[in-house]
Amino acid sequence: MSAKKVKNIGRLTILHLVYIILCLLALIPVIYVFTLSVSKGTGALSTGLLPKSITPDNYVRIFREEPFLQWLGNSVVLSVGTMILAMLTAVPAAYAYSRYRFKQRGTLLKSLLLLNAFPQILSMFAIFRLYKLLGLLNTRIGLIIVYAGSMCIFSIWNMKGYFDTIPVEIEEAARMDGATDLQTIAGIILPLARPAIIVTCVMVLIFVWNEYIFSTTFLLQEGQYSLAGGLYQLQSGDYSRSWPLFSAAAILVSVPILLVFFRIQKYMVSGLTAGGVKG
Amino acid sequence: MNQNKRSKQWFYLTPSMILIGAIVIFPILYTGYISLTNMSLYHWKDFKVIGLANYGRALFKLDEGFLSALATTLLWTVVNMVLQIVAAFFIALGLNAPGMKLTRLYKTLLMVPWAMPSYVSILIWRVGIYNTDFGLLNKFRAALGLSRISYLAENVPAFLSCLVLNLWMAFPFMIMMFDAAMQSVDRSLLESASLDGAGFFMKVRYVLVPAIRPIMLPPIIMTAFTTFKQFDIFYLLTMQKGALTGSTLQTIITYAQQNAFVSNNYGLSSAVSMMIFVLICLFSLYSNRNIGREDEIG
Repeated sequence: MSAKKVKNIGRLTILHLVYIILCLLALIPVIYVFTLSVSKGTGALSTGLLPKSITPDNYVRIFREEPFLQWLGNSVVLSVGTMILAMLTAVPAAYAYSRYRFKQRGTLLKSLLLLNAFPQILSMFAIFRLYKLLGLLNTRIGLIIVYAGSMCIFSIWNMKGYFDTIPVEIEEAARMDGATDLQTIAGIILPLARPAIIVTCVMVLIFVWNEYIFSTTFLLQEGQYSLAGGLYQLQSGDYSRSWPLFSAAAILVSVPILLVFFRIQKYMVSGLTAGGVKG
Repeated sequence: MNQNKRSKQWFYLTPSMILIGAIVIFPILYTGYISLTNMSLYHWKDFKVIGLANYGRALFKLDEGFLSALATTLLWTVVNMVLQIVAAFFIALGLNAPGMKLTRLYKTLLMVPWAMPSYVSILIWRVGIYNTDFGLLNKFRAALGLSRISYLAENVPAFLSCLVLNLWMAFPFMIMMFDAAMQSVDRSLLESASLDGAGFFMKVRYVLVPAIRPIMLPPIIMTAFTTFKQFDIFYLLTMQKGALTGSTLQTIITYAQQNAFVSNNYGLSSAVSMMIFVLICLFSLYSNRNIGREDEIG
């Protein structure tokens, strides 16, 4: 019995070692960038994995020498604009797909899934040309429409699943009491579906925040750069000079996303599996 | 009443249909139209319809590079999926080992690469890990007295570099999915197998794997799609504007993008895009059917 126990402890120790190594592998790039961001001057060549001294220099410089606040502002406008447009279109649609049984419903839902499989980047040139002809290039509203269109299908599916779980009887009871459609939806359905709506909003925000290829292709004027455009520019120039700045910016961009991610992570896993199993 | 109800659902659906129609459907149709023309930088306005010539060019002229890009993409997807499934399975298995502590901490730390904005991660790896002068890998080699390597200059090292980075980014999701699947397995099944005298490998092979198979199929198929569509890693690591690293690695998606925005072969690029779309549609119809079947069995 005790021999078995010893064997078990030995096995668990090895397992712990394996997981410590795995966690280190997962974290090393992030730790290294953090180290660079708090290291002095342009010592990217000499810096080791852990910082020798800590200085906020690079964080101060990113605000003073680069238009970081402007990039941030642009990213916020794009994210919030996209979220509003995507929600205004997707919430009513999700409601309709969940509550009404009409002939084309199944076909429409299936074709939405198929369309969602289409990588948006493949039609980027078509949209680019179209926007050029319409004069929508280099406008934030143009990019917001593209983002909202890309996220609309995902949002519909995500929220429809949740609407399905709200019993219809609640709505019928409200109608009996004389509530109008608008009152029923605004007063009963939306509050009940709040978790799903919030998670969907956050996912749309994260998508826009993390998107770079459309934003660097469609917004070409310097004052319009989003965070993605700004960071891209920082690392593409002369590295050795701007790499510490880039690392500070990378940390600043990632921290809010990390915080949000770990807050909604349990919804992401359950939502993804539930949605997946249903097909 | 009936009439009223019918018009109402379309009232709710119309805004989304306009948006999706304009941003998703119309561009696909337009791409289809461009694929039938000779549109290029020189024929920006005065292009004409040339039929299926672009498709023929991509499929039958070897030096156009589409077929090799297709081969690269398939190899990339298969290698990634095999490594991810096998490694993530065992990592999750260890996390569920009886008596294992600290699993919440490990899971949280392991999830960081998933939470990071992907373009930030890729740029960090590009300069912080793979860079010839001050990437960590070369610093490490220099410390050991070895010569510096430019990891992204040739195709095979570049492919491996992209592979390692993609695994780093994709493992957390796979591990979490396997972990969630394993936790949903009824413990008593495993215990009764133990009582029947089944060893560790027997339990894994005949109890655990069949039990998690139907749960894991959708996330695995989803990951296969995202791996197949991977663009960011190849583009940001090796083919940034004005900073080509020397490798000529292309997947079909980067091939379509480069032909549209770098070499300005709009017709060819659109033809490739349409073929990828058809491939993806076929694959997703096929996999949806299979998932349906699994559900009936389970």
